[in-house]
Amino acid sequence: MSLGVSHSVLADDSAPVEAPKPTSQAPEKRVSFFPQIDKLIAAGTADYEKLASPLADDSEFLRRITLDLTGMIPTTAQTRKFLADSNPEKRAQIIDQLLNSPEYARHMQRRFDVLMMRRLASKTVPPADWQAYLRQSFAENKPWNQLVQEIMEADGSDPKTRARARFYLDRAGDVNLITQDIGRVFLGADLECAQCHDHPEIDDFKMNDYYGISSFLIRSFVYTDKKKKTKPVIAEKAEGETKFEDIFEIRDKVSKGPRTIGMTIFGGEPLEEPTFKKGEEYVVAPKKDNSVRPVPKFSRRALLGKALTSPKNRRFARTSANRLWALMMGRGLIHPLQDDHSENPPSHPELLDLLTDQLVAMNFDIKAYLREIALSQTYQRTSRRTEQNTAADDSTFTHALLKPLHPAQFAWAVVQATGEADTQRISLKDKLTEDALNKRLAGYENKFVALFGGQPGSPPEEFLATIDQALFLSNDSMVMSLTTKKKGNLVDRLLLLPADNPAAIADELFVSVLTRKPTADEVQDVSGFLKDLKPAEKTAAFQELVWALVTSLEFRFNH
Amino acid sequence: MHGRQACNSTEHFSRRNFLQGVTGGALGMAGFSGMVQAESAKKLISQQKQVVVFWLSGGMSQLESWDPKPGTDYGGPFQAIPTSVPGVHISELLPHTAKQMHHLALVRGINIRENNHSKGSIFMQTGHKETPGFQYPYLGSAFSEQLNPAESPLPGYVCIGRGGSPKEAAFLGPRNVPLTLAEGKPPQNLVAPKGLSPEADRKRREFRSKLSKRFSLGRRSAETEIYNASYDQAAALMTQKDIFDFSKISKEDVARYGKGDFARNCLIARQMVESGITFTKVTHTNYDSHSENFNFHLEQLGEFDRPFATFMSDLADHGLLEHTLVICMCEFGRTPKINPRMGRDHWGTAWSIALGGCGIKGGAVVGKTNANGTKVIDREVDGGHLFHTYYRAVGLDPSEPFYHNGRPFEKANPKANPLTEILS
Repeated sequence: MSLGVSHSVLADDSAPVEAPKPTSQAPEKRVSFFPQIDKLIAAGTADYEKLASPLADDSEFLRRITLDLTGMIPTTAQTRKFLADSNPEKRAQIIDQLLNSPEYARHMQRRFDVLMMRRLASKTVPPADWQAYLRQSFAENKPWNQLVQEIMEADGSDPKTRARARFYLDRAGDVNLITQDIGRVFLGADLECAQCHDHPEIDDFKMNDYYGISSFLIRSFVYTDKKKKTKPVIAEKAEGETKFEDIFEIRDKVSKGPRTIGMTIFGGEPLEEPTFKKGEEYVVAPKKDNSVRPVPKFSRRALLGKALTSPKNRRFARTSANRLWALMMGRGLIHPLQDDHSENPPSHPELLDLLTDQLVAMNFDIKAYLREIALSQTYQRTSRRTEQNTAADDSTFTHALLKPLHPAQFAWAVVQATGEADTQRISLKDKLTEDALNKRLAGYENKFVALFGGQPGSPPEEFLATIDQALFLSNDSMVMSLTTKKKGNLVDRLLLLPADNPAAIADELFVSVLTRKPTADEVQDVSGFLKDLKPAEKTAAFQELVWALVTSLEFRFNH
Repeated sequence: MHGRQACNSTEHFSRRNFLQGVTGGALGMAGFSGMVQAESAKKLISQQKQVVVFWLSGGMSQLESWDPKPGTDYGGPFQAIPTSVPGVHISELLPHTAKQMHHLALVRGINIRENNHSKGSIFMQTGHKETPGFQYPYLGSAFSEQLNPAESPLPGYVCIGRGGSPKEAAFLGPRNVPLTLAEGKPPQNLVAPKGLSPEADRKRREFRSKLSKRFSLGRRSAETEIYNASYDQAAALMTQKDIFDFSKISKEDVARYGKGDFARNCLIARQMVESGITFTKVTHTNYDSHSENFNFHLEQLGEFDRPFATFMSDLADHGLLEHTLVICMCEFGRTPKINPRMGRDHWGTAWSIALGGCGIKGGAVVGKTNANGTKVIDREVDGGHLFHTYYRAVGLDPSEPFYHNGRPFEKANPKANPLTEILS
């Protein structure tokens, strides 16, 4: 392997690409815990060793890890190189290489953008700025707790860091919406019910939990200086409390009237807050004509990030550990991810404890954490079930789970498989960077997101395959144009191969699209498909073959 | 296809012809025994039934529509008017619909004990109260499953306008997911790429399918099935693309139905019925009138009345109503008490729906509310009773359960029963 650690893995070796320096703590300085992952997964199921599927072969592993860490499939050249490499350490090597690629930062940006912003429509912060902030953070491998703290502390007033405030500003400062999304994303708790009453089925989710979080935000609001027409920012008042009453108690006439609660994260002690003499609460006092942005001496909101990510709040660490696990494994140890409560225990409690402790111990180093998961046998098993585990539940992790490609991943896999990305790399020549390539191909991603990404504000939670999508993949002119012969794309490469060698054609086709060599049966199928073709029909036949592989089940899932 | 001017007889409405074609073909090919043929034929008779739901999302006020109480405390400013059925009065906001009353039955005693949009919507559209951790199929998906022939290339469930979610099919699978015609537009990409012959299209699909089958050995799941099925459905739909050609709708019809999205959607719905689509849902939104209830309903029902009435009269004139059940419903009604913002709030306690056509006694009224509309005083029913009624109206037996993973699931709550008073 000659790919340097800092190289973009999806560019040609020779291409100069920008890449951040790896800031992750060097792996050798840390004791790996991935063997314990396998031990604890095995301990969770009787006869696990008998049940477990074997490890994935190099092709399946390479496709999976590349999709999981970069959101693309590997290039044809990279696949060939990896398959031919005899170094026993090659899996560990490729994991590090991918984690340090610019594609990793882009991929994580996309995943966390959708997680945190749910594809909500842009209101006052350009999504591109927010995405650039996320991408930079992942490229630097900023500790996850620090990233969350920055977002929670942002008010949008400093132009340099305004993008961070998108979480608040594009939710229009709506305290309920923000409370619910904080619960869901960072605390593994779907608190929506607790807005109006203690959760009827889940004992752990109380109104106190909901309003304890709201309490940090209740004094904050979106401020705009209408005269000067400034951009909206988050401002805060020096007074205001949450006020809530259980509607069930009201209905049953047992309510003791509205309650309030101070700044609290899930059952912790309410945070202290200083008191000021009347008239001395503000650094900048509000004016009646609304002409200044008030700034209180004490900001409740400023404490939220710290309280949320505090070591005292294990829920944050546990949710983070579980989410990152699910990112790689396709399922949380607590599942669904926002249902962390006593009646929905983790499938492997000891493992979740270990992962939580480790994530805290490594100071929320995402790269190092993902690396450990990727090195485990649990991650590296084949997705093919064996006779022994055909009936095994997904929660046993006896086999790798099929993960449907999410919209951007699907788009990038398609542009790579068809060789459109190769064509663009050739055309960019010495201007090739991850960023430049991304700009060239972003149109495909946008189109896929529009069709597969659900409505703004509600990305699909479950896998859907609709007729519209199948019609798009079958007939859309943009999709079809990907199989038009262009310099260096797959159809172009296939046309250069000798027509009387269907094995070579099948090989290039399968390695490029499915990241694996064809089986003998598949070579025969390809051979049959191309039989008795007139030279004029060759291009069309190749286009049809590429289409068939790109739309196949195997391609649609990260398996 | 046929222009509207030629629509004087029922012969050309293609559903029956189409089904005959399919029956002959399928049975002939498979070489079924006589007994099976009889069974299938019997099944197909019920399969000729079609259903259209008008879903008035947000919750239409029963007092400004099907159950007016003029002159009472909570009656509001609008009067009641006589209809084509002697003795039955509805709100003056529905003058065109009033003339079609002989095609419609009213259920005036609904109490679902839910005042929440999502819960009311689930109860009314699945026939079951919301069940944590489990989802019953929506009416559209359930009837698509039971009434749309397995061999049919047509989608069983088309949703016009907002509000058709793939989740509605629940365990009934991808075949019964609603095909949504957003903004009244046909689905995109219904035509094969230029230069791709049908033979080449078939060949590439075959290759795709063969490859996919190999992959699913040892990896088969609901998700892999759904994905494969979507291609089959897409290919089938491509052969039926003419049914989504709305350019043939005549100017005269557009004039008769009137302006606006809802009028257009009613015309599309008529074309869906004519084309043999088993279940069509037309949504009309914005009934959630917490403030300015009366202005809201004046405007909303102004949009609703003429297109809906014209739709009913067209279906009746063309003999389609005989085998098409039409249901006009929402998630709940609105409070009799008028709030300080001149609004009416959520009210699942005493409200009404209208239905007509296949299996329904036109002009019948069942259930009654008290003088000021705050309580049901006769024949109180909920979503369960209504589901029994819909099933009976189209000739299906709701006591046969669905099976999912070997477990039976009731189609309609066994504790409820059909409203025989309005069944014909």
